[in-house]
Amino acid sequence: MENFSEVLTLFLSVDNFVAIAVGVLVGVIVGAIPGLTATMAVALALPFTFSLEPVTAILLLVGIYKGGMYGGSITAILIRTPGSPAAACTLLDGYPLAQQGKAKKALKTALYSSCVADLISNIALIFFASYLAKIALNFGPPEYFWLICFSLTIIVSVSGDSVVKGLIAAGLGVIVSSIGLDAVYGSQRLTFDSYDLMDRVSFIPLLIGLFAIPEVFEFYTSKVVPHIRTAASGASLTLAEFKRCLKTVIRGSLIGVVIGAIPGTGATAAAFISYSEAKRNSPRKNNFGKGEIEGVAAAEAGNNGVAGATMIPLLSLGIPGDVITAIILGAFMIHGLTPGPVLFQENLTMVYALFCGILVSSAVLLIVGNAAIRYFSLIAEIPKSILLPIVLMFCVYGAYAVNNSTFDIGLMLLFGLLGFIFNRTGIASAPFLIGFILGPMFEDNLRRTFLISKGDPSIFFRGPITWLFIALTIASLAFAAYRYWQNRIAATNAS
Amino acid sequence: MKNVEIDIAEIQERYYGRFNPNSILGATFALVAILFLYYLVPNYIEEPGYLKNPMLSPRFIPLVAGWLVLTLSIVMLIEGLLRPPKHTASEELHSGIPKLRWALMMAACAIYMFLFEQLGAITCGIFASLFLFLASSVRHVWVYLLGFAFPVVVSLLFIHVLNVPLPVGTIWE
Repeated sequence: MENFSEVLTLFLSVDNFVAIAVGVLVGVIVGAIPGLTATMAVALALPFTFSLEPVTAILLLVGIYKGGMYGGSITAILIRTPGSPAAACTLLDGYPLAQQGKAKKALKTALYSSCVADLISNIALIFFASYLAKIALNFGPPEYFWLICFSLTIIVSVSGDSVVKGLIAAGLGVIVSSIGLDAVYGSQRLTFDSYDLMDRVSFIPLLIGLFAIPEVFEFYTSKVVPHIRTAASGASLTLAEFKRCLKTVIRGSLIGVVIGAIPGTGATAAAFISYSEAKRNSPRKNNFGKGEIEGVAAAEAGNNGVAGATMIPLLSLGIPGDVITAIILGAFMIHGLTPGPVLFQENLTMVYALFCGILVSSAVLLIVGNAAIRYFSLIAEIPKSILLPIVLMFCVYGAYAVNNSTFDIGLMLLFGLLGFIFNRTGIASAPFLIGFILGPMFEDNLRRTFLISKGDPSIFFRGPITWLFIALTIASLAFAAYRYWQNRIAATNAS
Repeated sequence: MKNVEIDIAEIQERYYGRFNPNSILGATFALVAILFLYYLVPNYIEEPGYLKNPMLSPRFIPLVAGWLVLTLSIVMLIEGLLRPPKHTASEELHSGIPKLRWALMMAACAIYMFLFEQLGAITCGIFASLFLFLASSVRHVWVYLLGFAFPVVVSLLFIHVLNVPLPVGTIWE
């Protein structure tokens, strides 16, 4: 009871509610602007959280994440431009609906499905995260070593079209993460005697550089692509229609929860699996792809079901489930907190205050999403030529704010150039970030394991937990190899 | 400067020759990896003389990552030579861009990078924004006024709301 009142005291502050509302609003707006992603918005918002309380800071970022997931579907439905990869599936039925003059119906279906899925995902987070954290208390360095090995397999799924390129990017990320003073011996690693590099490469300039700056560079080095625009008008969604979709929404949400809880599988896969399951089970399967609201509901339930669930491995094990949760992991670290089982032991009230905020964010999404449908045309009309100079200014000020150093501005632009080269050459930036974050954790646990075992490698196979993660790592790699071969066969057949 | 528009649907896909982006990228990464493994690691990563286990060395993980990059770069190089990739529609978006457009973008970045402390956050923001508006051929006067208003508002937001002491500019002091 005492804990409960502490949680309420921590959560019931105006700042938290403002952070959630602002976060969701910013997320929806950014998600609704073609070319700007939720990942970029979360990275850009990170410097704004420095002066905030940890709970408020995390809720702001989670709000942006959830808003961005929904916002991406608006452009997918109206202008056939998915704001996020996960919204690509929404486009299949959403855009045909918009062409039939039923854009409002499609947008409302997407919004209500997103909110229901988000709520189900949040409830799953609250139930499973603490349970998983209790198990993780038994983990030592060897168990964590294998857990990180398992997490590193997500590189395969976030590598885009080429696994080889993704692995190269991850290797480069590990190399960049090794810059600084060595944690065990204190010797210099690739610092070139620069004081700015001795405390490792700053996380925020790297993030902003990798995910926001390439958008700016890309705009000024590309021709202008005209967009097809459709008004957010037509009849709205009826209660009977939503009831018809409810089964699909719940199924899609559960698919999203399961997929989201596995690091690296991602919202895009959840959306497409949910969509194909809905199509398989629907009596109107022939209408899918031609403007079926059940298709929109399935896709949106799948991708929003992932949002809360990706926080399960982050909060309970300290492992990011996707790129955005990797950035949120950075936010925890900036505020002196380490996600994982220890967080549940030492900051339980904070964790439950976060859960309260995450639940509230689903309701806020409903309100903000409704407003976004009404005022969407204004959001979509902001030209990039006006928006991107302001984005660059935010990037520069944000990077400078980390250490009040112009070195970080240079670092950010350097990583921006790297991200731009990655974009142009078909290399995904996400594996680089995963390598940068997980590299030091991998090294730290490897060394600690050898130190406690005095060099005996048998400690890596000391119990059922290590064997479980070895099996999961092998299974994950086997699944990735299977998908790779299937894609190659499909590509060969297509050509 | 005129914005160049393009219709992606009109672009047809065709294959590259042997010297395609994948083979060039593979060769570049391989050279970088060799430089890293044989020059940077031995010279710029200090190793204590009393190591009991080579896996505890500060060089171990960078070496593993370096060899991984080298091996995969060679794979990419060979793959690029044996199976040249196709031109993609998005590549056509990047050709024929006015040089002044990206030169102005580079100038905006250079202002932020080299003159941030000397000119201050607001002045840099104004100059860079105006350069970028010019780069995208913005014609409305009110947009250029935004180029003055936004840096002031955003700087004040950072300084007074977020307590981030952005530089005011050493030349104004």
